[in-house]
Amino acid sequence: MSIPKAQVVVYPGSNCDRDALWACKYVGFDAEFIDIHSDIDADLLVLPGGFSYGDYLRVGAVAAREPIAQKIKDFVDRAGLVIGICNGFQILVEMGLLDGALLQNSNGRFLSKIVELEVLDNTTPFTSYFLKGERIRLPIAHGFGRYVKTCDVNTVVRYVDDVNGSDELIAGITNANKNVFGLMPHPERAIEKILGSDDGLRVFLSAFNYIRNNGGVRL
Amino acid sequence: MQKYNFVIDIQYKSNVRDPRGETIKRVLNDEYSIPVTSLRLGKSVHLEIEAESEEIALEMVKKACKELLVNTVTETFEVRKI
Repeated sequence: MSIPKAQVVVYPGSNCDRDALWACKYVGFDAEFIDIHSDIDADLLVLPGGFSYGDYLRVGAVAAREPIAQKIKDFVDRAGLVIGICNGFQILVEMGLLDGALLQNSNGRFLSKIVELEVLDNTTPFTSYFLKGERIRLPIAHGFGRYVKTCDVNTVVRYVDDVNGSDELIAGITNANKNVFGLMPHPERAIEKILGSDDGLRVFLSAFNYIRNNGGVRL
Repeated sequence: MQKYNFVIDIQYKSNVRDPRGETIKRVLNDEYSIPVTSLRLGKSVHLEIEAESEEIALEMVKKACKELLVNTVTETFEVRKI
């Protein structure tokens, strides 16, 4: 089969897009940037971190209503893999592809540090390289990462300590089909030991391996 | 077509924590000794809209709220004509 392909959606105000592209290429993806007017031609779609549209109105609210939103929804319906990191998670929630809401950290501060996380679900396409219950370290960098639960969700990673006031210490969730993964920590910033942790590498390796084993969804 | 003006008042639902409001309340209490017992910080949107009637204008404003301006998961809103 052909090399799995990843596309990173660059919104106006995205600032982790290059790290995400690097991480995808690092594990073997054929990877490229696309913008809000592009068509999707990928096995993995990455919504990167940043401050899309300056986070005006609400975090991720404007980006979630751009022309590419419907294409992302169709891609999800075709069982394509989507990972939303930080602002990307906020966009997925605003799009309604993931449940709940992301509000300001309970202490009102922007948090930028490496945190410890526990992997609760290693049966997703994004976490097969982890052990269930494994503790990993990933950086966070957000002002609005407090996850508010509005229904039962599939928690994939949770904080070991209460860093931002999230319900049930939730740091990342998937949809019911487990092909849409949103998380506030930044796996793409933790792919080499020199960065302080390489635990994030396995998120991208898991997705790459899943696509190699199960076939991609490119039309 | 006539122009109509509205104010939309957007607030967090009462069960949603509001760290900005809490911080402002604390400063009023501690630094100015003003005995504020509750403070919630919301948003106010002032807009002008063209429509054939006030009723149609109001319907469009409500649509704008539900589609974009308000996240009904965590926020409530009130529209009033000015």
